[in-house]
Amino acid sequence: MKCAWQELLAILPPAMRPEVDKLGREDAQELRLRLGRPVELVTHSGSRWLPRNISAQDISFVIQTASKYSPWAASTVSQGYITAPGGHRIGMCGDAVVKADKAVGIRTATSLCIRVARDFPGIAARALEISGNILVIGPPGSGKTTLLRDLIRQISNSGSSITVVDERGELFPAGFDQGRRTDVLSGCAKSQGLSMAMRTMGPSCIAVDEITAQSDCQALLQCGWCGVRLLATAHASNLNDLKSRPVYRPLLDTRLFDNVLVLRRDKTWYTERMMVCL
Amino acid sequence: MSVRYIGAIMIFVSCGAYGFLLAANYRREERSLVELVGLLTHMQCELEYRLTPLPQICANAAREATGCLRMVFSVLAQELEDQISPDAAACMQAALLAVKDLPSLSRKALLALGNSLGRFDLDGQMNELSAVKQQCATLLEQMRSHRDVRLRSYQTLGLCVGAGLAILFL
Repeated sequence: MKCAWQELLAILPPAMRPEVDKLGREDAQELRLRLGRPVELVTHSGSRWLPRNISAQDISFVIQTASKYSPWAASTVSQGYITAPGGHRIGMCGDAVVKADKAVGIRTATSLCIRVARDFPGIAARALEISGNILVIGPPGSGKTTLLRDLIRQISNSGSSITVVDERGELFPAGFDQGRRTDVLSGCAKSQGLSMAMRTMGPSCIAVDEITAQSDCQALLQCGWCGVRLLATAHASNLNDLKSRPVYRPLLDTRLFDNVLVLRRDKTWYTERMMVCL
Repeated sequence: MSVRYIGAIMIFVSCGAYGFLLAANYRREERSLVELVGLLTHMQCELEYRLTPLPQICANAAREATGCLRMVFSVLAQELEDQISPDAAACMQAALLAVKDLPSLSRKALLALGNSLGRFDLDGQMNELSAVKQQCATLLEQMRSHRDVRLRSYQTLGLCVGAGLAILFL
């Protein structure tokens, strides 16, 4: 297991770092900071509470350091998160700033959820035998991104050139092995990035994390029709859940994905053939 | 007798040198402001085109700059990289504390710059950079409008005071 742990510690207020390092280095999954309340460290074995109440300055410190003191470089704040160095995702809650009925930022953040990015090389080795397009589904926190990351690496090392459209910059942060034939386009919206990757990189395979919008589905369809192999992830607990969500209808109707890897809460996974299910 | 003359000459030379030193500092202040305006323009371009994060912008500015400004921006970049200070203003204060012989007007402008860094979105940051640039430009204009008179005054005053004191000493 690999993790950019030092990068995670570096975004925390200096006084908090030793304690988090001591308690969470091995198995921290999430760190939850809530204004005026103690720090919650979520691990595989449950929650641990640090005896320290979070102040507004602590929350501000984390946001400032995670964005490298550069709000303009963290445009995703309008979507309620920042990706910190090391690929750790920081979700934010607080008073939203709304302009023209659209949230454009967070005025005062009161809660932060820091999800620790971890890499498990080899977990997708079994999926390498699967041919065709692959969709990875699972509930939040089940390890979709982690599985996709290893799948990309395995396919890349097995001989296919693969382009990754990594909108959030979470798949391959600095220090994570991305495989020999992987090209990463990060920070770009998925729908636009897919078309750019298609036109410019000539990939045999394209990977994208977290399909959430109709425009993403349309862009995937365009790529799929061009004969490029696709790897993607989506939020859904199981196939029935996936089918019930209208946003994924175009992908299911066209049978774009041949195989679905379904992740369980305990982070194990199994394969479903789409043809059988439909 | 000769010792007295030597003392008078030394008084004259040191007063004159002090006057020339003041004039040199005035020129140094002006050069520093001109360089700072250039760096601010560079930062604006970098921001507008590449949305570069602040530590990198400051490191780039340090590479472009010379003398004291190079020191300020490299310490600032390091402070931002170290992620110890709560905000960019505190990082700038630490950088200014570390560089002692920075001209005072440039120090003021850099303090204003530090207070504006990392607090706004792109448009806001660009406006703030423009405001600091404008402030530097105004200071430069004021300095240049009286430049020759001031420089002459410092040098003449130094020499005259030196001569007066030397006469009194004799």
